[in-house]
Amino acid sequence: MLKFIPLFFVVALLPVPAAPAPTSIDYTHDIRPILAENCFYCHGQDATKRKAKLRLDTREGQLGNKVVVPGQPSESELIARILSTEEDEQMPPADSHRVLTTAQKDTLRQWVAEGAPFTPHWTFSAPTRRNPPSVHTENWVKNPIDRFVLARLETEQLTPSPEASRATLIRRVSLDLTGLPPTPAELADFLADKKPDAYERLVDRLLASPHYGERMALPWLDAARYADSNGFQQDGDTFQWIWRDWVVRALNANQPFDQFSIEQLAGDLLPNPSIDQRIATAFNRNHLLNGEGGAIPEEQRHVTLFDRVDTTATNWLGLTVACAQCHDHKFDPITQRDYYSLLAAFNNVPETGLVGGSSYKVRTAAPVLDLATPEHKAQLAAVEARLAALKSDELLVKLRVDWEAKIATDETFPVPALRATAARPAKERPELENGDLRRYFFKHGLAQVHPELARLLADLARLKVDDYPRVMVMEDSKPRDTFILDRGNYETPLNKVSFATPEFLPPLPADAPRNRLGLARWLMSPAQPLTARVIVNRHWQTFFGLGLVKTSEDFGVQSDAPVHQALLDWLAVEYRDGGWNTKALHRLIVTSATYRQSSRVTPALLERDPENRLYARGARIRLPAMMIRDQALAVSGLLVDRLGGKPVYPYQPADIWDSLAITKERDFTYPQSTGEDLYRRSLYTFWRRTVAPSNMFDASARNTCKVRTAITSTPLHALTTLNDPTYIEAARALAARTLRAAFFRDTRLAYAFRLVLARDPDGAEKKLLRTSLEKQLARFSADPIAAQAFLTVGAIPRDPTLAPAEHAAYTAVCLAILNLDETLTKS
Amino acid sequence: MSAPHDSHDLCSDHGGENPTIWHLPVPQSLKDEWLSLETRRHFLGRSGKALAWAGLASIVGRGASSARAASHPSDGAALAAQVPHFAPKAKRAIYLFMAGAPSQLETWDYKPGLQSLFNTDLPESVRGGQVLTGMTASQARLPVAPSFYKFAQHGRAGHWVSELYPWTAKIADHLTVIKSLHTEAINHEPAILQLTTGNMFPGKPSLGSWLSYGLGAVNDELPTFVVLTSKMPVTRNVQALSNRLWASGFLSPEYAAVALRSGGDPVLHLSNPPGVNSDLRRAMIDGVNDVNRQLYETVGDPETNARIAQYELAFRMQTSVPELTDFSNEPASTWDLYGPKAKEPGTFAYNCLMARRLAERGVRFTQVFLRSWDNHNLLPENIKTLCEDSDRPTYGLITDLKRRGLLDDTLVIWGGEFGRTVYSQGTLKPNDYGRDHHPRCFSMWMAGAGMKPGLSYGQTDDFSYNIVKDPVHIRDLHATILHQFGLDHERLTYKFQGLDQKLTGVLPAKVITDLLA
Repeated sequence: MLKFIPLFFVVALLPVPAAPAPTSIDYTHDIRPILAENCFYCHGQDATKRKAKLRLDTREGQLGNKVVVPGQPSESELIARILSTEEDEQMPPADSHRVLTTAQKDTLRQWVAEGAPFTPHWTFSAPTRRNPPSVHTENWVKNPIDRFVLARLETEQLTPSPEASRATLIRRVSLDLTGLPPTPAELADFLADKKPDAYERLVDRLLASPHYGERMALPWLDAARYADSNGFQQDGDTFQWIWRDWVVRALNANQPFDQFSIEQLAGDLLPNPSIDQRIATAFNRNHLLNGEGGAIPEEQRHVTLFDRVDTTATNWLGLTVACAQCHDHKFDPITQRDYYSLLAAFNNVPETGLVGGSSYKVRTAAPVLDLATPEHKAQLAAVEARLAALKSDELLVKLRVDWEAKIATDETFPVPALRATAARPAKERPELENGDLRRYFFKHGLAQVHPELARLLADLARLKVDDYPRVMVMEDSKPRDTFILDRGNYETPLNKVSFATPEFLPPLPADAPRNRLGLARWLMSPAQPLTARVIVNRHWQTFFGLGLVKTSEDFGVQSDAPVHQALLDWLAVEYRDGGWNTKALHRLIVTSATYRQSSRVTPALLERDPENRLYARGARIRLPAMMIRDQALAVSGLLVDRLGGKPVYPYQPADIWDSLAITKERDFTYPQSTGEDLYRRSLYTFWRRTVAPSNMFDASARNTCKVRTAITSTPLHALTTLNDPTYIEAARALAARTLRAAFFRDTRLAYAFRLVLARDPDGAEKKLLRTSLEKQLARFSADPIAAQAFLTVGAIPRDPTLAPAEHAAYTAVCLAILNLDETLTKS
Repeated sequence: MSAPHDSHDLCSDHGGENPTIWHLPVPQSLKDEWLSLETRRHFLGRSGKALAWAGLASIVGRGASSARAASHPSDGAALAAQVPHFAPKAKRAIYLFMAGAPSQLETWDYKPGLQSLFNTDLPESVRGGQVLTGMTASQARLPVAPSFYKFAQHGRAGHWVSELYPWTAKIADHLTVIKSLHTEAINHEPAILQLTTGNMFPGKPSLGSWLSYGLGAVNDELPTFVVLTSKMPVTRNVQALSNRLWASGFLSPEYAAVALRSGGDPVLHLSNPPGVNSDLRRAMIDGVNDVNRQLYETVGDPETNARIAQYELAFRMQTSVPELTDFSNEPASTWDLYGPKAKEPGTFAYNCLMARRLAERGVRFTQVFLRSWDNHNLLPENIKTLCEDSDRPTYGLITDLKRRGLLDDTLVIWGGEFGRTVYSQGTLKPNDYGRDHHPRCFSMWMAGAGMKPGLSYGQTDDFSYNIVKDPVHIRDLHATILHQFGLDHERLTYKFQGLDQKLTGVLPAKVITDLLA
């Protein structure tokens, strides 16, 4: 029985982090969550569900009819009801299945006794500039972040951890800012740099690295549900990678975040938009696109519209608005009218809801931005001219009729069923068989009877569709009326609405354009309380694993109450008023003493603060799968760190795509890359929406907006990093690099270890590595065939000058190093 | 009928009657005991991250459930449902998913009256102004196409079974046939998503993920949720499948299904690289774990211990999975049941046998997909091929589960994502016609684990177009499935985006108790 008792009792009994007993009640932390969870469903903002005309989510509602009499619990109806044991009096009522604990009842009572202080939900009013608190241990403070953190630690009678070692710091900050580990030279430089600002200069170098943009793009691509295909039946490829490259460039250029946002939401509506500003709007077109034959256009178009509203709300406002598709939100003050008024901003795009170009590899839906070069267009024109000259239409008919006549009597023709079809008069052939015959002709027959025409047609398909660069973007050239939809059904429109921002938030300025651009500017306006907090919180999450508000996707009334609300607000104001300078924000975070702490932890501290929300230690987090792969490529020397361009197709087991897709209409064979493209950063791996890359575990599915990804550890992950050819080949290359770099066993082992972990192994580790190597060496020496076989994995040729048994043994040890917990983790 | 109007169940707090089980009356002594266990756990594994598959826990020396419960210490609600809410009938389920939507008219919904209406127009009163798909919206006529195949009654219960199912007919008395399923989705993707995740829009956890999350693992060396996709006997009218049908949505990724593959490694990257045998691998993992243990001593992060367990379990899977996929120890009678195709990896027959082997080993939920039921044309020919491919293995599976005593607590579910129209799409000949998508009614069956055997439930009109009695929405089906697992669909919740999310979403759903024994 015991083993089934859930953990939540512990959570309930031991608030995390364990704080001293509160001396007074805080409405936001202590009261609103109880009311929201238990009362707002019937006594909240949704008028249609409201019982007894009572609202408990507003001050007016609470104070009306003696529901709450500040200072007088015994006079307050609320208290009487929650304490009542009478069935028809008791709140919440039995049929709600909600029960208040004794502790919750006491808390509510204490709140009323203390005068029932009320504060509106903190995220719904704009953060204001406040001075960082003062602290006792001034000399620990490196910047204002540390004041907030240390002040709380001092209250908690905790002390910060010492600064991490230099080696740990350079690996941590390099991975955090560029997604790549330091090179041996970078490590040596940093260790040798004795100037007091060595770390700050390291940070500046990393912020200036072109790989900074690649790393920082990762969470943004998750939020933007970016993928390289449409994601439904037939799952056509797209050119949205052109937008991905724009993101990397914008991040590297440190484009201010307000501009970065406005261009993505509404770059097309800016005066004289540049090509880049129009490419930026592809953000809004990264959604799924349905290519099913039976898809109903208007239905699909609404699916897209809903997705845009939800993505915008989650990404910038940290609000879950989807509820309001059907009715007013139960907890947050978002009405159904608000929802459709927002939707109106996205409703003027000349799109059908469907996607064209069936049977082509690439399938896009208008509107698209044509990015073909003049050379490309000239090539296409030449092909078209030659086809015209050949009178290709008539020629094809003639060729096909002749071919059919020929195969009808050709005993050696390899497909007897088709031969039988061809033998029948065209009009008598069943349609499907005729289709099979036609396909066969185009696939195999034409090339034999007229090679030039076959080649020209292939060129035409390539130049006109599959290789014609065009990115799906936004355009407001089709004004439509927008209606509130009854239960979200596009077939049952109710009242007409026009674009507006949610009523509970500050209004649009009077002179703001009533369109997407107005929306975008409003999202970034200083009065609007959410965006700066939401975004700063996500940046914090990038470095510390958890946001200051843990529910980074939800800043509504049900959101996580932060331990460090004042710090979040301070950072938000700093970011917003400092011109949305993202690199400056990142610099501030990583140069803080808070960030630079060692991540070592004691059992006592672990128990006190298991999630590290007080920051008495540095963050220790498993790396995202993409970074684990990039790291392996980097340390082995295989990485090709060229920026941008078409997606690439690194190793993936066969049949992963074709086992799920429809193979008839196009070829879904995985077009595995060769040469350098096998070793590009994971950011550039082709992301098929229906089947994500096989070695990217715990990644966002890239179907809908995702701003927080989970970190799990299943045996499948271990199997990936132990057996995926990516890692075996990286281990082999790392071993070869090691064998060439050093001569003695111990220096070799230390060299490899240091390449991966940026530190030397300690005595015990050296011993373990040595033992492991000797074991492997004995085995591979005794079995040269196994050694040879092990060294064949991967496309990079083996260095024949290295002794196979030794190379294999070192490869095994390097593979082990690549699988160490410390390697997989940012410590 | 095509609008997505019930599909946004981000707001599952509707009804106000779905608290998490935070407040279940549990004796104080158990809470205390849990607390002490939990305190100990803090030293062994903090795990702000999920640790998959209960087995890890036992390796690192904790109670299995503590690791599961600890998966999300930060999300109280995530721990909401680690216990059945009441005594379960089903310990595991096998879902035979007929992707593409088999026609109910040729399989389970017998309509003898249609024979005399061949090629007459579907009465407008029956259609009732329904929106048609893009494929038949422009068709001039909607002519009635009676089933080319005959039906007969079978078993004591007297189910009407199509002649396409001679083998399944033999087990008719085990089946609970529902003829009144309905959905709003008229296209495959939304419809399949609704069946597999309860919602037409992507991003929600699948049924199997909810079960894994709610009930945890039985076997620590295999995943709790497995998907098998089958080779198609005919490749016209194929449906694409995608990972999102078995993804974990907002639940932790560990609850997503593992797709067992029929070619190459059954589990991705399961095999050691060439030249590395099991001994060598053992040595390699020992090396990794020795260094990790050393790291734990200095850094003190329990995640390192979790990593050690993760690698141990990976090693063990390398043994347990090949044992699973090695059919050589099957008795000869197995092949009599499933037919000879069960020896060919990847066939539906092979997957049915694999499903039984998974069920035996404690896998909670196995979903077997068979595609290409989307017979817009050449329906009589294609459906015959598909039924021939799947009939005997289905019979084999049920019979095999029965003889091994597993049917009592294994729920078997058969069905597609919607029905097909009574009128023909394209040409209509007695033996050649097609049928378009039809969301208003379709048939499924269930067997085992407390379902009422031999029951035929629900009724459609003479055209199998509208339901006239006992409609069952997909939400009701889901509620019923969860119920058989001892889970209350109103209480199996997960807090995400500030809301208590659930499989059955926003709109009312009910357990169809008439289906239960």
